[in-house]
Amino acid sequence: MDTQYIRNFSIVAHIDHGKSTLADRLLERTGALTAREMQAQVLDAMDLERERGITIKAHAVRLNYEARNGQTYQLNLIDTPGHVDFSYEVSRSLAACEGALLVVDAAQGVEAQTVANAYLAVNQGLTVVPVINKVDLPSAEVDRVREQIEHVIGLDASDAVLASAKTGLGTDEVLEAVVHRIPPPSGDPAAPLQALLFDSWFDPYRGVIILVKVVQGRLSRGQRIRLMANGQRYQVEMLGVRTPKTVEVETLSAGEAGLMICNIKRVADAQIGDTITDDERPADEPLPGFQEIKPMVFAGLYPVETDRHGELRDALEKLRLNDASFFFEPESSAALGFGFRCGFLGLLHMEIVQERLEREFNLDLIVTAPGVRYRVVLHNGDLVEIDNPAKLPSPGEITKVEEPVITATIISNEESLGGILKLCDEKRGVQKGFEFLGPGRVMLTYELPLNEIVLDFYDRLKSASRGYASLDYHLSGYWDSALVKLDILVNNEPVDALSLIVHRDKAYERGRALAAKMKELIPRQMFEVPIQAAIGGKVIARETVKSIGKNVLAKCYGGDITRKRKLLEKQKEGKKRMKRVGKVEIPQEAFLAVLKVNE
Amino acid sequence: MSLGLYISVPFCRSKCTYCNFASGVFSPGVYPEYVELLRQEIRQTLAWTAHQRIALDAVDSVYFGGGTPTVLSPALVRAIGEELQAHFLWEREVEFTVEAAPGTLDPATLDAFQELGMNRVSLGVQSFVERETRFTGRAYGPAQVASDLQLLRSRGIDNISIDLIAGLAHQDEESWRSSLQGVAEAGVPHASVYMLEIDEDSRLGNELIAGGRRYHAHHVPCEELVVQFYEQACAFLACQGLRQYEISNFAQPGRESLHNERYWRRAPYLGFGLEAHSMLLERTAENAREQDGKRASGTFTGEALEWRWGNSSDLEHYIAALRNDEPAHSGIEQITPVQQLEESLFLGLRRNAGVDLGELSREFGALAVAPLAKRVDELRDAELVTLTGAQLQLTSRGRLLSNEVFERLLLS
Repeated sequence: MDTQYIRNFSIVAHIDHGKSTLADRLLERTGALTAREMQAQVLDAMDLERERGITIKAHAVRLNYEARNGQTYQLNLIDTPGHVDFSYEVSRSLAACEGALLVVDAAQGVEAQTVANAYLAVNQGLTVVPVINKVDLPSAEVDRVREQIEHVIGLDASDAVLASAKTGLGTDEVLEAVVHRIPPPSGDPAAPLQALLFDSWFDPYRGVIILVKVVQGRLSRGQRIRLMANGQRYQVEMLGVRTPKTVEVETLSAGEAGLMICNIKRVADAQIGDTITDDERPADEPLPGFQEIKPMVFAGLYPVETDRHGELRDALEKLRLNDASFFFEPESSAALGFGFRCGFLGLLHMEIVQERLEREFNLDLIVTAPGVRYRVVLHNGDLVEIDNPAKLPSPGEITKVEEPVITATIISNEESLGGILKLCDEKRGVQKGFEFLGPGRVMLTYELPLNEIVLDFYDRLKSASRGYASLDYHLSGYWDSALVKLDILVNNEPVDALSLIVHRDKAYERGRALAAKMKELIPRQMFEVPIQAAIGGKVIARETVKSIGKNVLAKCYGGDITRKRKLLEKQKEGKKRMKRVGKVEIPQEAFLAVLKVNE
Repeated sequence: MSLGLYISVPFCRSKCTYCNFASGVFSPGVYPEYVELLRQEIRQTLAWTAHQRIALDAVDSVYFGGGTPTVLSPALVRAIGEELQAHFLWEREVEFTVEAAPGTLDPATLDAFQELGMNRVSLGVQSFVERETRFTGRAYGPAQVASDLQLLRSRGIDNISIDLIAGLAHQDEESWRSSLQGVAEAGVPHASVYMLEIDEDSRLGNELIAGGRRYHAHHVPCEELVVQFYEQACAFLACQGLRQYEISNFAQPGRESLHNERYWRRAPYLGFGLEAHSMLLERTAENAREQDGKRASGTFTGEALEWRWGNSSDLEHYIAALRNDEPAHSGIEQITPVQQLEESLFLGLRRNAGVDLGELSREFGALAVAPLAKRVDELRDAELVTLTGAQLQLTSRGRLLSNEVFERLLLS
């Protein structure tokens, strides 16, 4: 198709502002799916995505739209995840677009991810079209939201599209705005091929599937291509577009986005951000790629049953096929045996990986408390990176410890300001900005240590603001910090998998809270179990789990032995989900006690 | 190996709040049909054992449990008796127990039971304190119990057992002492001490879980106190000459309940009626021979065949099934050799005498019993069991934590 009739666009929004619902309306309106085929939030394909109401993977869907001017346009909608953990996916998807719809909830207004995503789009040179959604709500305040968009983001919102994705109001106006306000792609179809590989995943039947955006030139079935990063050559076996049903096509030319299969065996060979070119007539330069994604949050993953270590490794490898952002390496723990240290983009990502491992691979897992990667400078001048608290060198060897720092943008209502400032202070934050976004709304910028964020910052922020505050953040560097290792002793034995790295000033408080939480989470055993928190051998808190008083069937029963057996088997089954450390049965949740301290 | 018979009479004049059996208050109009169907069930079961060529030994214990068997009319008692007399072989000495609730003894019904051979009564006293019995759904005091005892003794029945429950609403240290004192003063040769079961199956248990005040769950003593009551009972009853012989049972030497001992010693019994359970064990000549051969080589044989089944606990379902000439149970389970070994442990250890590991080795093969050694060591270290020679026994703490011990001895 002539590039002047093609539009590539994304929808960006703060979570829950109606991005996926709007995408559904666009699909429905353009006849990509009949009403009968519509299933709420069609593009969220994974069960987990639907259950949690979030989008994890990017999707590209082609829509054919006959505009009011009578011309049919090809609209390529590239859907993006909405959660901060997956913001790297947003920037990738945006690279394949010329424009973006910025969806803002008419009642909630501009939120932290609205700002972050809008800036991402603007900085990548995209045309951003504001869409004010949910205008049908009684609490909608269109003018106030318009003002916020102009004031905070600096976009002209006077001609923002007013829509209600729920009722379908404004759907046509959104499509017209895509056609008339977003520019067509500019690439030359006759130039040497340059196609951006912006996502890839592994399909057990067809191998690696690649999402591409052809920037210039033409991609055809049967063509010999080359991946510019590693120089590997392949033949294009299949090209397709999703409507959202997959439809095979012969070519994808400049400006078009679609799927490609070319017999690549490993996802690692199809690096996201790579440029695909023609093998015989290669482009001179690759397209600008993406920054490599780095995991930010680390935790140990262990099978509850130690003999299933091999199964866990296989499962992690399979999962990694589809999720290049996730990293793992073997580690061992005195308490938990053999397992893996895993790196995630954030807490949500960690939960998703854990849930997929348990659900899709039927594994019972122990996850240790999430932490971050510290830089430790030793007296001998060496710099070591530590992502497992148990491996922190002894204080005598350490010159200094640096911890990763993020820059956080928090938008909230003015009433919650006191609570939020107090929280940021408690979390060792340094204020960098404070701005009123109009009546009653405030935007704060803070530098905060990442290890405070991965614990309970987001939940605490939500409760401090009764759900109003929104948060976005990005890694911004490292700073020196007085950090110490907090050990937890169960039944007088230190349990390495429960160790934490905490700031010295917080150590006492956290130690006490953690010991108290562990007491709650560890069920009573046949003997009394002391739980202690210690820093460098000095015990700072102690709790005791009382011993079981009785567990006995002392009743009249008319010879019903089967029921007695079932009771014992159920009891035994319950213990299978616990990890025996020394003589003590510790349930899975206890290893994440640090996340639950404030519950 | 002799046989025991259990007859379930699931009818009561009122339902106790702690009761977690299927028994309850039904119109007496249903009693005759129930008895008729129960008789049919006896014939049906015996047809099955005959078909399976399972030889039944002579009966040496009969237990009428409930519910309240004494609510039956003399005619219905005799009707059941006729059926039993007609189909089973009988030992010369038979322990014949009938459960009764205080204040429900009717001379005519007692006559009928005595004609059949009743020589033992288990009286569900539960508490000698009226404030406590009132909240179980029945109100009676020590005077009623005394008059019931007198009535039974005047009829020549002195083999009497009294049940107590630790953990009833309003129980405290003082009231528990008076219940124990009540047992002592009653001068009975047998007592059972149960602890209130906290599960959804009884109204009081359910209230303890779900919350509520109707059955005074908020006045139920705490777990520590119930444990203390139990320990106190063990010590007190021992002083009265009632020695503990099982987790919940106490008796003068020689007055232990033969019928209940069957459950713990894996001796066969047939149960008839609502929610009644049965167990049969068979050592055929063939598998006995096989077993001798394999025993020599030390492999696991599992020489005996064991069957278990349990009847429906839904009265309507029980009646409907038998009317259609179908079994009242949902299937007969064959217990595997490993499960048999496990049963020997989790049932046998309930007895203070414990189990003889050497005997289990001979019965199930040394290889099958071998994995127990390490677990037994751990349990000994935790002071939950003692091992004297080959005799494995629970300690008093082990009795309170017996489910923990049994769970660790499950092999499968």
